[in-house]
Amino acid sequence: MNVIELNGLTKTYGGARGIADLSFTVEQGEIFGFIGPNGAGKSTTIRTMLGLIHPTSGSAKIFGKDCLRYGPELRREIGYLPSEVFYYDNMKVKDLLNYSASFYNKDSRKRMLALAERMELDLNKKIDDLSLGNKKKVGIVQGLLHEPKLIILDEPTSGLDPLMQQRFFELLEEENKKGATILFSSHILSEVQRLCDRVAIIKEGRLIALEKISDLKGRTYKKFKLQMKAGSDATPFAIPGVTEWKTAPNGEVSFLYQGDINDILRRIASLELLNLWVEEPDLEEIFMHYYVSREGAGV
Amino acid sequence: MNMFAHELRMNRKSALLWAVALAGVACLFMAMYPTFAEESESFKEVLRSMPEEMLAAFGLQIDAIASLLGFYSYVFLYISLCGAIQAFHLGASMISAETRAKTADFLLTKPVTRGAVLRSKLLSALTILVATNAVYFGVSAAMASFVKRETFSLSAFALINVSLLLTQLIFLMLGFALALLLPRLKTVLPLSLGVVFALFMLSAIGASTGDGKLRYLTPFQYFDRAYIVRHESYEPEFLAAGAAVIAVCALFGAIRYLKRDVHVG
Repeated sequence: MNVIELNGLTKTYGGARGIADLSFTVEQGEIFGFIGPNGAGKSTTIRTMLGLIHPTSGSAKIFGKDCLRYGPELRREIGYLPSEVFYYDNMKVKDLLNYSASFYNKDSRKRMLALAERMELDLNKKIDDLSLGNKKKVGIVQGLLHEPKLIILDEPTSGLDPLMQQRFFELLEEENKKGATILFSSHILSEVQRLCDRVAIIKEGRLIALEKISDLKGRTYKKFKLQMKAGSDATPFAIPGVTEWKTAPNGEVSFLYQGDINDILRRIASLELLNLWVEEPDLEEIFMHYYVSREGAGV
Repeated sequence: MNMFAHELRMNRKSALLWAVALAGVACLFMAMYPTFAEESESFKEVLRSMPEEMLAAFGLQIDAIASLLGFYSYVFLYISLCGAIQAFHLGASMISAETRAKTADFLLTKPVTRGAVLRSKLLSALTILVATNAVYFGVSAAMASFVKRETFSLSAFALINVSLLLTQLIFLMLGFALALLLPRLKTVLPLSLGVVFALFMLSAIGASTGDGKLRYLTPFQYFDRAYIVRHESYEPEFLAAGAAVIAVCALFGAIRYLKRDVHVG
């Protein structure tokens, strides 16, 4: 079953671009990464799904129902953590969480205590007195309190220290095991790499790739780094599939390669080498590749 | 119900402060009445030396000023000014609270319709105004019967007091609509003071020039207290004007609130 289904979703602000013709689906039980640089349209997409923004055209469906028409009903099962958390400053954490819980017909007092303890959150403090990281914890507890079936996270880790980030990810994995679907938006790729099954890459409001993390990392790209004896001669590598060409002063060259591995190895074999490394590129590099190549193509 | 209670809790301090302030101002003015009434002849002499336009602008009526209702009618000008500021500010700040403090991401992603949010907000604003007026009515009535020198018409007194609530309702909705007209409203107080004082000045100008049409432009002129004392009723055409302002503001505000996109920052 599709939990999220975007169909040609478009939002323009006057003449300015928001998102354009965005379509993808997220299946039940997935942890789905949603990647792009700042201003790519990630938040716009998420806010449309939550009914905060009205799309210019196209539609967004959650649990098979239109986000706008069935908004209140759908939001019962959604937990949302915004990228920047803002709450009513003069309230205590406890009161804020109780207020939040009062919107759902569930008794979540026990869960509130348990979550607060896991995240080391002091319930008796005033929101006003909390640091950014602690506010983020309030957001996490608030978003997970009602045991949502769909968890939407918009750049969730900013402000959290590594230990808390770790606990937060464990929490997410537990929720996922219990059946929750997770949409995880981020521009920090390593965290997506760790958690997600599939990832959508978005740039300037358009979907530029939709791949399984395993495919993205394993099959598709290899990172080559080689040190040549006679300086760096690029000519043998002027073939399709080579990108991210970089030369270092010490004669080292590195590049990403997508394609038949035998082709590239034959070319490498014809050279006199001092050293050779073949690595799995991290998502960052793949992502930069998407970014740069489309830029270069004048898109 | 939870949102209604939340809004009340968020606004209870300022509501309490306003109720006390309004009642306090009324008490202060009324405490001056006995001395004023005794010296009324010499005071009237001073007033007669002033230009008529100026007296009209301040809503001073020399013949009536010595009576309790006449005096109260005059000081009520300032009570209604304060009341208008409270109501406008309440309307504007309540409706813009989520965008100003960026809590929209919290409230509007809850399983509620925007209509329900709007209803809770307006209902709690209404509750606050009614409560403020109840306090004010009680205190001012007690004070009036304490300082009175002769009997006065209770129904005229009551009608004057109720006009505070009606004026406040109009300003509440003006604040509500104006806050939604300005999507990036950050601070409410300057807007509130600006708009209310502008309408107050307009009211003074209208009164001094005696321009009948100008009266429709400022809610401060909708409840003419001299008329209320004389007829023990409101002027129907201005009641209708007030209702029209409320209806237009409510309609405009509701459409804006339901349709607009909610952005970060």
